[in-house]
Amino acid sequence: MLQYVNVNIDGATVRAPRGTSVLDAAIEYGICIPHLCHVPFLSDIGACRLCIVEHVVNGYSKVTTSCTLNVEEGMVIRTNTDKIRRLRRNLAELLVAQAPNSRAIQDIALRCGVKEVRYPFRNEDCVLCGRCVRVCTEIWQARAIGFVGRGKDRHVDFPFGIRPDFCKQCGNCVQICPMTIPPCDGPMKPGKEYLCRKCESQLIDETPGSCSWCKLGEGFGCGRYVGV
Amino acid sequence: MPRLNSHRELEHLRERLREQRQNITTTVMVCGGTGCRTSNSQAVIDAVRDELSSQGLDDSVRLCVTGCHGFCEQGPVIIIEPGNIFYCHVSPEDAFEIVYQTVMKGEVIERLLYEDTVSGERFKTEAEIPFYKAQDRRILSQNRLVDPCAIEDYIVAGGYSALPRVLNGIAPEEIINEIKSAGLRGRGGGGFPTGRKWGDCMEAPSDEKYVICNADEGDPGAYMDRCVLEGNPHLVLEGMMVGARAVGARKGYIYVRNEYPLAVKNSRIAVEQARELGLLGDNILGSSFSFDVDIARGGGAFVCGESTALMASIEGKVGEPRAKDVHTVVDGLYHKPTTLNNVETWANVPAIILNGSSWFASKGTKASKGTKILALTGRIKNTGLVEVAMGTSIREVVFDIGGGGANGNSIKAVQTGGPSGGCLPLDKFDLAIDFDVLAEAGSMIGSGGMVVMDEETCMLDVAKYFLTFLQDESCGKCVPCRLGIDRMLEIITDITEGRGRMEQLDLLEELADTVSQTALCGLGKTAPNPVLSTLRYFRPEYEAHIKEKKCPAGVCKALITYWIDPDKCTGCGVCISGCVHEAITGEKKEVHVIDAQLCQKCGICRSECKFDAIQVV
Repeated sequence: MLQYVNVNIDGATVRAPRGTSVLDAAIEYGICIPHLCHVPFLSDIGACRLCIVEHVVNGYSKVTTSCTLNVEEGMVIRTNTDKIRRLRRNLAELLVAQAPNSRAIQDIALRCGVKEVRYPFRNEDCVLCGRCVRVCTEIWQARAIGFVGRGKDRHVDFPFGIRPDFCKQCGNCVQICPMTIPPCDGPMKPGKEYLCRKCESQLIDETPGSCSWCKLGEGFGCGRYVGV
Repeated sequence: MPRLNSHRELEHLRERLREQRQNITTTVMVCGGTGCRTSNSQAVIDAVRDELSSQGLDDSVRLCVTGCHGFCEQGPVIIIEPGNIFYCHVSPEDAFEIVYQTVMKGEVIERLLYEDTVSGERFKTEAEIPFYKAQDRRILSQNRLVDPCAIEDYIVAGGYSALPRVLNGIAPEEIINEIKSAGLRGRGGGGFPTGRKWGDCMEAPSDEKYVICNADEGDPGAYMDRCVLEGNPHLVLEGMMVGARAVGARKGYIYVRNEYPLAVKNSRIAVEQARELGLLGDNILGSSFSFDVDIARGGGAFVCGESTALMASIEGKVGEPRAKDVHTVVDGLYHKPTTLNNVETWANVPAIILNGSSWFASKGTKASKGTKILALTGRIKNTGLVEVAMGTSIREVVFDIGGGGANGNSIKAVQTGGPSGGCLPLDKFDLAIDFDVLAEAGSMIGSGGMVVMDEETCMLDVAKYFLTFLQDESCGKCVPCRLGIDRMLEIITDITEGRGRMEQLDLLEELADTVSQTALCGLGKTAPNPVLSTLRYFRPEYEAHIKEKKCPAGVCKALITYWIDPDKCTGCGVCISGCVHEAITGEKKEVHVIDAQLCQKCGICRSECKFDAIQVV
């Protein structure tokens, strides 16, 4: 039988079954916590760090990712404080500077309040969220792709760089990739390195306290869309 | 040797071994640690052994190949007891003289004695040497008593006395209370109270628990764990046995880097010897306690020193950290409660059980008890391993033990705690070595690395070095660590190459704060420390790089030029022949000139010039 616990998220008491993550519980109740690497039905690795929240214990607040934090009775969570918004914005800025042509990343960055990017843009196609690796490993049990290398050299690849026979060519890795959304036509022409702000999220100035069912969420597989 | 089935049999063995050694009059202790081995101590050991047997002294003189004595710079090192005579820089050719004069006649060979770098005085005994005199060697002093490959030595020296005590009599709760009241804190970096960790692990419900010894030391310039594990592995094993008894574990691992071959070898031998005597295995010393230890070799990834990454590595997975919202004392190795402690922490345990918590707590400060081993390196006269009581000031370590700056240079800063630690300037040298004091000052004790820097060290270069190290060693899993370190390095590189802007300093600070708050594991959370501490204490140096485009220490190649002082140059031509880029021209006996276009700023000419004529601006 499911055991339920009560969690306080941003002042609201939320009831969730034991074993769910804080992120899932919050999304279920319409409290939006931006996230990128989290996908419902896949394990959480806490790679993108966008879903950070403040976990208040005995008067001390600890910054941690809500996707890896499981709900417990009496837990107090703050998802939308100044500190969290500032840290989240800085993280989104790092991401968007890495992959400025990705529409999903641009959208997330704008929603997290990034107005300017203070780092030189790079043109990477992958932000190593690990969605593809986890869908291949956990849903299809194929293990045809994985992370290779460490640190700066980390990338997603086939074993030894050759597509193995056990790759079922299901294409799930491509579908779930946040980079597969048609890219913005605006930004990143040489000399025009800025955020175009033509995304769906352009109307939202700050991170909303409650989920607005944004079109964007549909685009990169927000739990709110896939989950319901 | 037969298996020991009770406490009494262990004591009998100890007495028998002591009796066997009664007719030994002299002990020659040659250091066989990695440091001395690189200065050819193996040849010295062989030569002394041959000499002893050719003189027929095999029975009365014991040759003991020990672990590290700490003063690695002076290696190979020999200590002769009785007399505590300390010889350094010994070569194989000295073996005859040592055996004939010192061992047989008791005479001292003046030329092999240690000559103090500061006063020029020669000291006869180890105890007199300033480097040792100012220390408080609780753990390291045991190294010279035992041959790490001989369990007999450890037993004769009083080892494995804490084990019977925890097996008969002291209950696990009492062991943990003893550790708690001793105030032992983790020596690996975090300084987490060991007793609390053990208590949480003991209370965690599970049929299976593990203890792990973390010997995956990877800080640049630090090697205290290697020294303890390869010099006295039984001490670490005994500590682990006590810990296992306390938390209720039946299985332990020593996770040691494969790059420490001697530590791997010695700990393997130690485990086998302990198994043979029945000190590991089922029903240890006839009790109901069963415990065994395996050696797990690490591939040398720095991040595998992080507890969850280390456990993933033992499990055979990729050594990547995972979120620690549930602590490893509840959900650790194979998802079982696991107690992980550093080598030095384990090595402290047997003495606490034997001598009591108040003995341990008699040294140290209010919040940090006992002693700490530090690896003293950098631009300093005496380098090596140093063990001091907690609460000793940095000044005492650097100047009294370390002897001050090498080549008479004045000291500018000290970097403590390895890549995760920070740089402290000279005016902070009165701070005590204490977990909380150093953390408050923006640095940390960490595992105990202590790199001393003088006026010729550029603090930006230091920050850049550590960021490069961390960028290579980051696992790359989470965004703040992978991209954050990369961007911090990008900014610092910009500044050191003359492209810096003042607003980048604010960005650097903000980014460092973000990384330290949001990174997944300890590596990422502490990665910005080198940047934050240098920014905090050496901001003028950053500003000089940006505003004046100058490197005050003369290190950052893009911002310096070499020139020859015409008043000092004698036209000797040494620099011309030394310059591999053929950038220096000039006739004999006339002032030479450096062609700035051709000069690669390698610094060869500067080190070759005897007249100090080559200057850096």
